[in-house]
Amino acid sequence: MNFDVTGAAVYFTIPTGIPILGDIQITETLVVSWIVMALITGLCIWLTRDLKVENISKRQALAEFLVEQANNFVRNNTGSRKFDKLIPFVAALFTTSVVSNLISLTGLRSPTADLSTEAAWAIVVFIMITGNKIKAGGFLGYLKGFTTPIAVMTPFNILSELATPVSMACRHFGNILSGVVINGLIYAALALASSALLGWLPGALGQILGSIPILDVGIPAILSVYFDWFSGAMQAFIFSMLTIMYIANAAEG
Amino acid sequence: MREVQDLVGIAPWTFIAQICNLFIQMYLIKRFLFKPINAVLQKRKEMADAQLTDARKSKEEAEAMKAEYEQNMAQAKAEASEILKDAQKSAQTKAEAILQDAQAQAAGIKAKAEADIAQERKKAVGDLKNEIGSIAMDIAGKVIEREVSEDDHEKLINEFIKNVGEAS
Repeated sequence: MNFDVTGAAVYFTIPTGIPILGDIQITETLVVSWIVMALITGLCIWLTRDLKVENISKRQALAEFLVEQANNFVRNNTGSRKFDKLIPFVAALFTTSVVSNLISLTGLRSPTADLSTEAAWAIVVFIMITGNKIKAGGFLGYLKGFTTPIAVMTPFNILSELATPVSMACRHFGNILSGVVINGLIYAALALASSALLGWLPGALGQILGSIPILDVGIPAILSVYFDWFSGAMQAFIFSMLTIMYIANAAEG
Repeated sequence: MREVQDLVGIAPWTFIAQICNLFIQMYLIKRFLFKPINAVLQKRKEMADAQLTDARKSKEEAEAMKAEYEQNMAQAKAEASEILKDAQKSAQTKAEAILQDAQAQAAGIKAKAEADIAQERKKAVGDLKNEIGSIAMDIAGKVIEREVSEDDHEKLINEFIKNVGEAS
């Protein structure tokens, strides 16, 4: 029995002939991303149906709770209301990440199990961090920041600056991918184990039962509590938290 | 065999698309969740503020009304005591007037009664005088068995009566 983990499947290729970028490939990642976006947007629309000022429904209470949570999350981590315009961005990042991570429970491939996704997010965050740094200290101040505390440190400072998006992207991607790999391994291993176990039964019975991966029922669900639920929520939280903290730090100069 | 991408790698178009997706998602969340909810929260806050202002205004009004009421009450009390005082005064005056009147009337009645008594007495005296006169005349006639001249008699009787009257 072979087990392999592959990248996102390519459904469709649009030849463009553009050098470097190559052909447009409509991959599993993109399709599932769109499904995730549709889910989130649908949820938002559903949550905010017939809003009332008084005597609100449970649905509206939940929507208000979520908005308050997002507001508090950003305001508490930055310690001010200066970054209120970032709230929808952080909320989008967190929600997309959580839903993308958890959508693997339905059998779809998580968009976050593709480094392109995390790299895209991390680059956006990196640009925001840099933009805030330049806004806070001016372009020269930004460049000067690399020579602190002494000029010799410059290469290391540049490295650490670049390490921020790379580490953010790789941390998130690694966690999700590890979940995918381990879940795949467990499914394969349990299928193997159940066929080996029931294969002992004599005759046709053993053959039939041995071909059904009985052990795959139930046991992976327990592990998925950690690898999908906990890890998924945790990584989304960490990513959003780091985003807001890096940006807040950058704006302080 | 279906076509797959590398397990670890960055596909340029996916990368670009995901950046766009992130911003589209941000817009959608902003448009469909934050905007309506924040609007409702804002509205609720405004409503609460308005209610608070209203309550403060009502309280002020009530206090003004209370002050006015108390003022009116004090005024009314003062007026009442004034009226009472006036009434007492006028009652006393009236009582005194009535008393004086009654006293005057009583005095009048007394005087009249005294006058009446005096007149009665005078009349009684007159009557008695006449009676005694005629009796005396009868007696005298009988005594002397003859008719004494009226004029003499008259004179005698009057003298007698005068003496009686002075004696009595």
